[in-house]
Amino acid sequence: MAIITGRKRRDAGPKANKVTRKQIRQENRKEAYFTASQRQLIWARFRRNGTALTAGFILLTLVLMGLFAPFLSPYDPTIAGRDKGYTNGAPQIPRFCDAAGCSARPFIYGTKRERSIETNFRWVTSIDTADRRYVQWFVQGDRYRLFGLTMTTHLFGVDSGKIHLFGTDDTGKDIFSRTLHAIKTSLAVGTLGVLISFSLALIIGGVAGYFGGIIDGVIQMVTDAIRTVPSIPLFMAVAAFLPDTVSAEARFFYISLILGLIGWPTLARRIRTHILVERNQEYVLAAQLSGAGPGHIIRRHLLPSFTSYIIVDLVISFPYMVLSETALSFIGLGLKDPVTSLGVLLSNTCQADVLLNYQWYFIPVIFFITLVMAFVFVGDGLRDAADPYGSQRK
Amino acid sequence: MAAFLRFVVIRAAMAATTLLLVSLIVFSLMELVPGNCAERYLAYKNTQGQNLTREDIAAEEARLGLDQPFMTRWTGWVSNVVLRGDFGESCILRVGINQLLGDKFLISAAICLTALLLAYLIAIPVGIIAASSNSVWLNGSLRFVSYLGLALPNFLLALLIMLASTVYFGDSLTGLFSKEFRDAPWSMAKVQDFLSRVWLPIFILGWSATAFALQTVRALMLDENGKLYVTAARARGLYGRRLRWRYPARHALGPIINSLGFDLNRIFNELPIVALILTLTEAGALLIEALARSNDQQLAGAIIFLLTATIVGLNFLTDIALALIDPRMRKSVIGT
Repeated sequence: MAIITGRKRRDAGPKANKVTRKQIRQENRKEAYFTASQRQLIWARFRRNGTALTAGFILLTLVLMGLFAPFLSPYDPTIAGRDKGYTNGAPQIPRFCDAAGCSARPFIYGTKRERSIETNFRWVTSIDTADRRYVQWFVQGDRYRLFGLTMTTHLFGVDSGKIHLFGTDDTGKDIFSRTLHAIKTSLAVGTLGVLISFSLALIIGGVAGYFGGIIDGVIQMVTDAIRTVPSIPLFMAVAAFLPDTVSAEARFFYISLILGLIGWPTLARRIRTHILVERNQEYVLAAQLSGAGPGHIIRRHLLPSFTSYIIVDLVISFPYMVLSETALSFIGLGLKDPVTSLGVLLSNTCQADVLLNYQWYFIPVIFFITLVMAFVFVGDGLRDAADPYGSQRK
Repeated sequence: MAAFLRFVVIRAAMAATTLLLVSLIVFSLMELVPGNCAERYLAYKNTQGQNLTREDIAAEEARLGLDQPFMTRWTGWVSNVVLRGDFGESCILRVGINQLLGDKFLISAAICLTALLLAYLIAIPVGIIAASSNSVWLNGSLRFVSYLGLALPNFLLALLIMLASTVYFGDSLTGLFSKEFRDAPWSMAKVQDFLSRVWLPIFILGWSATAFALQTVRALMLDENGKLYVTAARARGLYGRRLRWRYPARHALGPIINSLGFDLNRIFNELPIVALILTLTEAGALLIEALARSNDQQLAGAIIFLLTATIVGLNFLTDIALALIDPRMRKSVIGT
């Protein structure tokens, strides 16, 4: 960009006294517009869309939260990090002030768990307002691996006992830690699923679009047949093959694979349509007439003409992957307990006990909705931005 | 007329081909289960203390026709389904699948189709009004509802409604029938009881579809509203409701009818999970039961096939309806 602006200035040199600075700036802007790459144009249009930009920031935050989940979460999300003394515990919200005065460092109350004649010999957890536990930053805790490093520092914790921002579940696992790890897992499943289905879609849709004719007809028929089958029952039927003996990690991989293997038809159809339409465009003919080889045409003309659309398609199909994973895990056919995903967390909420007494199990739902919403808004914003006629239509 | 008949026949043939392909997929899924029906049945008998040999398994396989090649069994299955409406026997329960399904599938189909109908009854008028109004508030909230339709899938909505109803009313509003009617034969009282409970699943299942349909109708109407024929009609002095319903709405109707099949697909997608949450006793719940608990692929396959057949049937009907209202469709026989 800088080179272009430089040349412009030099060209305008002799006449500089006649052309005002404002005009030059306008010229530059026009030139920048005409020479901008597809990506720059999309970004420029996307930036003007307030909702999409906000959603983008939220999405980025969520992704970062997922990536740094082990560091941000105070405890291990699996049974290893459980708090035996605080099962089904309510969320503990840090506070600065109480009846005994204020403190600059936020604190939570400690809990006491006792069983005596007063409690009818049942375990009862009570809050002890005299026992203040102060929130500390960068505390040492459970060992975890992050980007290949083994670390024990967690962003926050309390000086004694444990802190559970979102409460705990029936085995005492910290729901806050689980939520963060769940975001990470769900995003990972989604990414893997989207990548697999995208590769399949690119091959199948590419073949159909490139060859056309009978091959296209047959592929389209099969694709349509698969598309008519409701996908979640189909996911369920395939996922039911996974034996219970498969380890949780392998299960994670298989579920992504299934999502990818069944999710391709919609993408494949769009890629096929893109290729079919673009192949017969006049600029392709022009390039052919100018003597360009097929490789050059595909690389320099066809691919750039729809990479942006494909990226947009990928972003749009992402929430469906996350949704499908959640649905599968929810019924118990997807991921299972040691692996924490949003679906696994949601599947815990469907008990009368939880509905009546432990409503904090529903906190992950908020994150789930935010995640999907953010994806949808970003996807829509990107689609509008990638559509060169979008701004003219309005 | 001849052209129309030709169109119907070709469309019917295409629908049949799709169903055949789907039956192949479903049947392969049923076949992929480790261990065939005979082995599983005899393995079960084995746990009951009977001693079984290879020969017993072979004899059982011959009795069930499992020694035939794949293609023979597939065509047998398909012809049984098509000619006699018989889905064979469940491997685990040793009962005819038709008997297991009973009227459950019809109940599910009725619930889902009603949900679909409801979705469009709401979406079409609201979408058309929203498209021609400039109200920022209306359009903004509509956009929000549409996105929420995706982000808050039906099963989450069902969960949240259950949460709210248990917290505020102390009743979780689940189930399709009251206790006393669950196994009773159909009667007026049972129908009344059913209707008093079925509105919630219908509303929940229709929720996403409504949100999406709203978006579709609004976008289609916006596209049509900008077209020249609308400007021309306006120039001739038409305005308001007369203009909207006479010109753009009729043009937008085609794609809306086209999208019915996809929306039914979406509703069926959510059916099993919603059924699980609301403890409905119909095909969706049976499907989960078959897949997640008893691993009964025959039953699951039959249900998936029936669900898909309903979608294909609806697609066929909408194609015919499109051809009736839009002459252009009749011309393009294969048309997309």
